Order: sequence, then structure tokens, then C-alpha cells
Amino acid sequence: MIQAKELTEKLEMFACMQCGKCSAGCPESGKSGLNIRRIIRELTVSPLCELKQTDPLWDCTSCSACTLRCPRGLQPHELIIGLRGALIETGEIPVTARDSLEAVFKHGNPWGRAKQKREEWTEGLAIKNLSDSQAEILYYVCCAAAYDPRVQNVARSLAGIFNESGSDFGILGIEESCCGSETRRMGEAGLFEMIVEDNMKLFNSRGVKHIVATSPHCFDALKNKYNAEAITVQHYTQYVAGLLDGGKLSLTKNLDKIVAYHDPCYLGKQNDIYDEPREILKAIPGINYLEFDRRREKSLCCEGGGGRMWLEGTNTGERLAETRVKDAAEMGVDIIATACPFCLLTLEDAVKITGFEEKILIKDISELIVEAL
Amino acid sequence: MSGIFVVAEHRKGVLRDITFEMLKKGRELAGASGESLTALVIGKNTGAFAERIAASADTVIAIDDPKLENFNGEIYQNILSAIIDEHKPLLIMIGHTAAGMDFAPGLAAAKNIAITTDCVDLKLDGQKLTAVRQLYSGKINAEISFKPAESYIVTLRSGIFPPEPSGTSGKLLSAACPDFPESAKRFIEYIEAATGTVDITQADVLVSVGQGIGDVKNIPMMEAFAQALGASLSCSRPVVDRKWLPQERQVGSSGKTVKPKVYLAVGISGAFQHLTAVKADIIIAVNKDPRAPIFNIADYGITGDLLQIIPKLQDAVLKLKGGN
Repeated sequence: MIQAKELTEKLEMFACMQCGKCSAGCPESGKSGLNIRRIIRELTVSPLCELKQTDPLWDCTSCSACTLRCPRGLQPHELIIGLRGALIETGEIPVTARDSLEAVFKHGNPWGRAKQKREEWTEGLAIKNLSDSQAEILYYVCCAAAYDPRVQNVARSLAGIFNESGSDFGILGIEESCCGSETRRMGEAGLFEMIVEDNMKLFNSRGVKHIVATSPHCFDALKNKYNAEAITVQHYTQYVAGLLDGGKLSLTKNLDKIVAYHDPCYLGKQNDIYDEPREILKAIPGINYLEFDRRREKSLCCEGGGGRMWLEGTNTGERLAETRVKDAAEMGVDIIATACPFCLLTLEDAVKITGFEEKILIKDISELIVEAL
Repeated sequence: MSGIFVVAEHRKGVLRDITFEMLKKGRELAGASGESLTALVIGKNTGAFAERIAASADTVIAIDDPKLENFNGEIYQNILSAIIDEHKPLLIMIGHTAAGMDFAPGLAAAKNIAITTDCVDLKLDGQKLTAVRQLYSGKINAEISFKPAESYIVTLRSGIFPPEPSGTSGKLLSAACPDFPESAKRFIEYIEAATGTVDITQADVLVSVGQGIGDVKNIPMMEAFAQALGASLSCSRPVVDRKWLPQERQVGSSGKTVKPKVYLAVGISGAFQHLTAVKADIIIAVNKDPRAPIFNIADYGITGDLLQIIPKLQDAVLKLKGGN
């Protein structure tokens, strides 16, 4: 039994009026037993709850549609994170999630890859390392972009864009460690605190004042959960939109394609960044830009967040990324552009599963920019 | 303080391969050091076992008793204790198996003899023993030196040495069963692993299929191939998403991490999320796309149409195994 009294009080869940906007907007509620309104109701009536490893709590992608829609300004998704934490304390955690947390603790990345290989993606590129040089901007690469060969292309594209625009940037190289975003969302608050402390020490010792992040997940954690007021944190789409505005980057090559933008939840819903990615895409010559029906605040989650890259959850229904790809196919889209490593990977998988492999490409915005340079 | 003793292992009336693997290594050590090689077989009606083992040992000591019908680690330990007192062997080799590990550590502690478990190699230099065992999930082979002692106990990993007879005709001795106290353990029954469920994490050889197999109707073909190879069938996430195989077969960061000796990836492009959970000794890839990322990490690769390649591989495997 888990005592959730402290948690419900801390998150002011007693203010809930059970309107149900949270569960109505939840992308998982249609295909899983996850019902956030009901969880809040049950916990406010009786804070003692029985949870187990197979609980639909692990279905939550932490997209935070519930939080965005709550008319009382509550944060239901944080309640789920808190309950996951309580589950972890009792050892009731799916084994794949446990392994990824252990890998973050031991190796500084959720896949347990060697720290020494973290800058492998820089091979052949001349990039400053903040351990032995100074730079105005810290480019925070992210575990996925550092290790996953598919996402490494995003890191390389961004390094190319920074160089092209004359930006003074550097990386932390093998000293970079996981930002802890997914660690926190999986409920491991203690490990996350440790990560923040270590990373802040490193940032301070390297004199970091401005961070540009590849991933909306790192961006969100660094900006909102690190209490690093002295550091400006930007997602790369914000920074690049600024470069385009300031005339430091010009996109000249024609990209004769029909492109739709998929809003990453951690960028859009959680940080209100909807316009910059669109501005960039519209600045690419030749692009026929289309909007998904479910976009911006209503954007469909790809299900890669909240630790779901290491979890299957309990639902076996169609993956939302597949729904997204099918929508794109109906619109006649050539390229789904996004700005998040996890969206990139889940959508690419979905393209394979739905049989659109030859017809629809999934690209990160940075890759499209490089094509247009 | 002399002689190499191998403890034979048998179950349900069948001598297990580990017995002959240990005898093979024991023979090599005996040849190099001039020690004699003795096999011990403990059980009920061990005559046939002893005769077979005699082709690999200088001496076979058979301890036959109706009470020894089923394996009991405590009784083995007591009998071996008496044998050690009587013969004082230099080296006692025991299989690193469920049975061997049931009595080897207790025996070592009771007799105050140094033990090294799960050895993959042994060297005997005069009376000095060096063992090789693996560390860090097999990334490092560590040499373990024993302090000079009168006796050593080792347990040997299965499948390391070939189980070939050395062609000796060893002496057969039968020894009286030493007295042993009543054991608190009692044999009840053998429980076989349920058929149908597969633990892909325990498989030595995996045939893993991806989206590239094209259609659910090709699954039986892949199952047949896996069976011919003595492998288990696993898959990538898209195959589970399409419901071609159940989730228990999924390899990947949200599925299972597998550590087979051989991983045969068929129609798997090799996404990072998949490969990160494959810790195989050897990866063999079959894929139609020569640029598929799987080829970056595969030890061997075949580019081409798997529907043509797999039946040919299967024929070749069956031929090698002496089948049809």
C-alpha cells in the first residue's frame, strides 16, 4: 500500500473539481486503463492506494496535455510522476525502466553506453571542447544524439549550422552526462537531484552562461528543473530562428517537398514553443508547408516521453506515432519534420510498421536546414 | 596429493557431456604433469557409466548404492569428503552446473581446500595450478593463481572443452559407499521447463526477425529455420507491433536484453534501440539493404533476399548436422 497523502497535498489535488478535461485530453486514455481524473478522485477520497508494477501509470508519456488543460491550474502529470516514485521505492518498477535508471547512474546515459564514446559523433568535425577552451555557447548534445547513429546526424547537422552562422560554441565532450529528464519523469527523484547537482557543478566550473540543447527533453529539464537562473537555456529551434532573423544564416537551396511539422510535447505543450520551428520550416525555399489537424496545444503525442523509450506500458493498441504517420499519408505529406530525438525515432519506427517506408521521410528540422544551406 | 579426479555427472540415466569435457581437459593436464587421471562416478547401477568413462580415464572409481539413485548435493559432499581423505587428490574437477554448484563450494569449505568456480581453462605447472575465469560479463579473462597447496577444487564451465574420449582403457574399481548421515534434502521429482514459453534471454543462439521478413506468413519458415539451428526465435519491436510474434520475444531497450553466443538478425535494419539490447559474441546479419546500420556492427553479413537465403542456410545446417 502506498500512502499518497503528502503527494496529493503538495500538488494541491484537493482543488480538483473532477471536470474530466485532463482524462478527456489524455492521448493514452483511449487505449489504456490510465484515467488520470479517476486517480485524482480516488487519492483525494482515500490516499492509501494499492499500486503494482503493471499499473497503467507506466502508460503515461508525461506529455502533460492534462496539465495544459486543467482549468484549476493543477499538474496531474506530476501526480503520476510522484506515484511512480512511490512505486520505485517499493521496488515495483518494470525491469527495462530499472535497467535504464541504473545505466544513467552508472554510465551517465540510459543505454549504458561507454562514456568515452560520447563524442564519437564529432569524428571529422572541429568542435571546441569546454574542458580546454572557452565558448559563448554550450551545445548540450543529449544522450540520444551522442550515441544513437540515427540521431547523431542531428548533432552533426546542428554543429554544421552553428559553424555556418559563425556561432561561438563548444561541447562538454565525454564530460557531458544525462540531463536526467526521463529519470525524473520515471519517478527517480533522488537520482535526478544527484544528476542536477553534478551537472550544475560541471556547468559552473566551465563558466557556462548559455546552453543550446538538441532535445526538448534536455531543454525542458535544464530550463525548468535545474534552478539555473544565471544560465540562459534555449532549444535549438529558438536559437536557429534567432540566427535566421538576425541574417546570420541564409537558406538558399530549394527543397521541393510537402512538409508537415509534428510538435514535440516537451517543446510545445510544456514550453509553449510552437512558432520558432514553423518559422524555420517556412523559411526553407520551395517547401509546401502543411499543418496537421492535431497540432500545437492539441498535438498528438508520439509516446516517446515519460520514460516510454524504455517501457512498453500496459496498452497494446495502435501506437500514436502510427496514427500520426497515417494522418500524414492522407495529407499527401513527403516529410514529417520534428525537433526531438524521441519523436524522430518513434515516428521512423511507425513509418516502417505502417508500410510507408518508401513514401514518407521523418526528418529533424536541423537536417532540413542543412539540406537548404 | 597426487592425481587428478573428475567427478562424473549424470541425470536420469544419462551421462552428461560435462563429464567428458572435464575428462578431456583432465587428460591434457595429466599428460603434461605426469599425474594420473581418475574419474569418480556416484550413483545406482553405475556399471555402464564406468565402462564408458574408462575410455577417457586411467582409473574409474564407481560408488554404487541404491540410496544414490537420485542426485543429492549433501550426500555427494559427504562421499567426496571421504574420497578426498582416502586418496588425497591434487586436483578435483567438478562441473560448473546446477548439480556441481550444489556441493562444490560446501565441499571446499568443509575440507578447507581452495576453490575457483566457473573456470574456462586450467594450467598445471608441477603442483601449481592456474585457472582462467571470466570477469565483467566475459570481457576479461582473468588468470587466477592458487597459492601452492596440497589440493585444489575447480568447477569447469560447460561447453568449453570437446567431449571426446581419449581412447584409454582405464581400470575399473568399485569402492564401498562410505557411510553418510541422513540428508535433510529429499528428492521429489524432476520438473521439466514448460514447453511453449521461451526465455530468449537464456538462449545461446537466437534467430531474430525484423520487419524485413515482410509478412506474418513467413514466421513459420523462420521458426523452422531456428529449430534446425537449435536456436530460439526473437524479434524486433515492429514485429511485435504488427502482432506477428508475442511481446515476450521482443529484443530492445523496451523489450529484453539478450546475451547469446550467436545472434542471427534476419531482416532487422539495426536501430539503436534494438542493438543496444544485443550483447552477443557474434552477430550475423541478413538484410536486403547493404546500407542497413546492422552491417556496421555485424561480424558477418549477407546482403540479399532473405526468402531465398534462409532456406539455403537451413539446408546447409541440416546437412552439417547429418540430417536429410
